[in-house]
Parts: sequence; structure tokens; C-alpha cells
Amino acid sequence: MASPARLSSRVDAGLLAGCVLLSFIAIVIPKEDREPIAAALRQTIVAPLVSLQRGAERWRSAWAASDRQQMVVDSLAMRAVKANALVVENDQLRKLLGLGTRLEWGFIPAEALHSTAPGEGLITTLTLTAGSRAGVQKYSPVVAGEGLVGMVQTADPSMSIAILYTHPSFAASGMTADGATTGIIYPHLGGSGDPYSMEFRGVAMRYNLTPGTVIYTSGVGHTYPRGVVVGTIVQEMKTAEVWTRTYLVRPAVPPSRINSVAILTPQRVTQGTGNVWGATLNTDSATRRIAAAGDSIAKQAALLQEKARQAALDSMKRATIDSVRRSLGAAVIPAADSAAIAAAQRGAQPAPGAAGIPGQTTPVRRDSSRVRRDSLRPDTLRRPRP
Amino acid sequence: MNWTGAVRTIFVCAILIVLHYTLRPLLAWRASIDFMIVALLLGAVRMRPGAAAAYGFILGLVADSLGVTVFGAAALGMSVVGFAASWLKAVFFADNLALNGFFLFVAKWAFDLIFLAAGSMQGSSDLVMQIFVWSPLAAAVTAVAGVLVLSVLKPLMEARTS
Repeated sequence: MASPARLSSRVDAGLLAGCVLLSFIAIVIPKEDREPIAAALRQTIVAPLVSLQRGAERWRSAWAASDRQQMVVDSLAMRAVKANALVVENDQLRKLLGLGTRLEWGFIPAEALHSTAPGEGLITTLTLTAGSRAGVQKYSPVVAGEGLVGMVQTADPSMSIAILYTHPSFAASGMTADGATTGIIYPHLGGSGDPYSMEFRGVAMRYNLTPGTVIYTSGVGHTYPRGVVVGTIVQEMKTAEVWTRTYLVRPAVPPSRINSVAILTPQRVTQGTGNVWGATLNTDSATRRIAAAGDSIAKQAALLQEKARQAALDSMKRATIDSVRRSLGAAVIPAADSAAIAAAQRGAQPAPGAAGIPGQTTPVRRDSSRVRRDSLRPDTLRRPRP
Repeated sequence: MNWTGAVRTIFVCAILIVLHYTLRPLLAWRASIDFMIVALLLGAVRMRPGAAAAYGFILGLVADSLGVTVFGAAALGMSVVGFAASWLKAVFFADNLALNGFFLFVAKWAFDLIFLAAGSMQGSSDLVMQIFVWSPLAAAVTAVAGVLVLSVLKPLMEARTS
């Protein structure tokens, strides 16, 4: 009789053999026969697991879809950011291209790299990608399409360093568009408000500039050519100065938009930049000139009209007097202008040059009506008496 | 194994089976964690070899019913692995986590070998790649996950059978 342990071993072996045999049977039976068994399992005891697996796979799909959507959103956001940057860059390049077209000669294009000194939060210098090999010299003005940027401080062979209008060393002579108001432009240091602003100092008290007035370089000092836009007046600043005013100026070129610049050569500075930034300046001047010319023409036209009207009145008056005199048989007084007649009537001395005055040698200028009347009535005047 | 131990074991195995059908599809790793093997070994070492073989057979059928490979291959592999685990429990049944991890690694790899041999649906190159690359990786991942699970569920599994 077998011991319980051996019996258990035999039972275990039998169970293993049975399981293995059933597994082999499951493997070898045709697919048509085993599929109902699998389907029955899936629909009964495995059904909760199927549901769990389906839910998990759905979660995974949602997760992957969310990741994909997030990537798409991120990509779109990146493209939007790049598009904005490209729009800004394109705008700047267009302006620089336009500036180059207007300048035509005497400038060196360069890329501007912003650099901040350690411990400073303000951008005061720019690193330019053009150096002395390209013709850049110290103190060359740096401009952009919108206006003045700064001045070259150091010119290395392949690169140069320029100070921005925020640099403490920056100074430029400025003026308004009509050139009547002048002053000196300094950086706005240590004051309240925008640290990238400038100050227009030394403006005479009699000039009160309104906000929005455009300030240009005046060309005094020959560092910056005349007519480069510097900025616009924001407001007057309260200072201790008694005889002059100081204005806060918003720069024409914001520092964040200084990417591509042009460095003017000394020859160009000497010869000036002409109309490059002076559209407003020229427009103002032209407007004033046109207005002045219009006024002059109007005055001349009014004067001529008044003279013509006066001459017509004189002619009519003379004709009337002559007719009356002839009808009365009196001698006809030689024609004189209205001034002489008026003077004679007033008993005063006639004006020099007036016709009909004794000693007067100036030929009498007869008006058209007199000539016409004479030509119409010659017989009545010269017909001999019987 | 008393009733309390049996209930605990069943509960833990149920958790592992649920994890197999929830966490594994969610992770969808190429070398995935086989929580069924962990559940099989966790139960098998607390049973007699014959019962462990039957337990493995049932788990294998469940896996086969949801799989797309040969029906019965997983049942065969789990039956053999379960029987072997129960028979060798005197050797490997210890409180050493590293030993348990190695035990899990060997069990998973052996199961994959039997499963692939029984299924034999792949080409030779893919079969070699699966046996010597992906199966060891899956076995290692399963061993690590099994050790973590055992560590977490250790308070629940304190009462072990002798």
C-alpha cells in the first residue's frame, strides 16, 4: 500500500500530466473547435478582465492622442512664435532694405547682437558684426530704418562695439523738424519711467514742444548727420533749470527691435543723408513753402484785382467827366489817373509821376476804356468848327 | 495554508491579475511586465505541485483566451512553471528578495521558452531574437516588478504556509 506522500506525488504528477495533455489538446485542435472555447471563456470568467483590458487600452489611446495633440499644439505655438519673430525680422529687414535703397551709398550693413554688461539690466552697448575691415570707424553713427541707434565705440577688424542711446556717454545735438528748436539729446539715466527713454535738454523757454513732436539730429558736431530721426517728445520734465526746458523723448528705435543696422561712413556723415529720414521734415518744410507761396500768389492776385478795379473805376469816371464837359462845351482836361485827379480835387500836390502835371515827362498810361472811347468818337473831338 | 492565508493569497493574486490587464496595456512596453507569472509563482509556492499545475493551467487558459497566439501554449507553459515552482519551493522559498527576483526571472524566461516552443509561429531569426533578447528583458522587468510587489505586499503575505 502506497504511503500518503507517494500518493500525493502521484496525484501531483497526474495533475501535471493532465494539464499538459489538455494543453497539447488545446494546441493541436483545429481553430474552428478551439475558438468557441476561447469565446466562452472571454464571455464568462474572463469578461471582467476583457473589460479592464479594453479600458486600459482606451486610456492608453487617449493618453497617446493627448500627447499627439499636445505636440501638435506645441508645434503650432512654436510656429506662431517663429512666425511672429519672422514677421518682426522681415519688417526690420524691409526697413533696412528701404534704408539702404534710400541711402544708396556710404553705409555698412551689420547685425546687432545685444550685450548687457555684468550687473546691468539695461542694454547700453551693441556688438556689430562688421568691423574695420568693412570700413567701420570709431565714432561712426549707427542707424536703423526707424532712426538713430547709437555710435561705434570700438572698431575691431571683424566686429565692432557700439554704444546705444541708453549709454551714459551718448549725446547728440537735436532739433525739431523746422529746425527752430534745438537742444542736446542725452540718455534718460536714473529717472523714473522707461529707462530706454532719452532727454532733450537745453531747449529755450520760449519753445513749448507738444507731445508727439519728432526730434531729429541737427548735425551740429558732425558726429551724426543732420536729419536722422531720434524720437518723439513724450512730456516735459521737471528740472531745476530756469532758462531752458527738458523733454522726455521716446526713442524711434526700441532696443528690442535693433537687430539689423547700418553704419554710416565718415564720407556719408560729411555729405549728409538728405531725405532718408526727413520725410516729415521735408513735408513740413514743403507744406510751409507751399502755404507761403499760396499766400504770396493770393496777395499778388488780390493786388492786381484791386488795381484793375481801380483802373476801371478811373476810366469810367474820366469818361463820365469828359462826356459832361463835352456836352457843356468845356475843354477836355487831359487824362490823368485817379490819384492825380483826386489830388487835384483835394487841392494837394499830385503824386510824382502822375500824368497831366506840368513838368511831368513820364508818358501817360492810358487805360483801355479811354483808348476804346477815343477810337469810337474821333469825329466829335476833332471835327473843325464851321 | 490556513484559510486566512488562502484568502490573502487569492486577494493578492487577484490584484496581480488585474494589474496584468490594466497596467500592462497602459504601459505597453516592448519588454512588458508579466504580472500573471508573479501571481502564478506567488500562489504556486503555497500549493502542492499538482494544484499549482492546475492553477497554472487555469491562468494559462485565461491568458490564451485573450491572446492571439496559439491557444493552449500559455496553459502548457504556466502548468509546467507552476508545478516546478511548487516542487522547488523548498529550494527557493526564502525571505531573500534577490533570490525571489532570480526565481521570478527564471520562471518568466522558462515560461517564454515553453510558450514560444509550443507556439512556434515566428521565423527562426525572430524566435532567436525573442528568446535571447526580448524574453530575458521581459523576465528582468518582471523580476524587478515582482520584487517590488512582494515588498509592498509583504505585510499582507506574512502568514505563509510551512
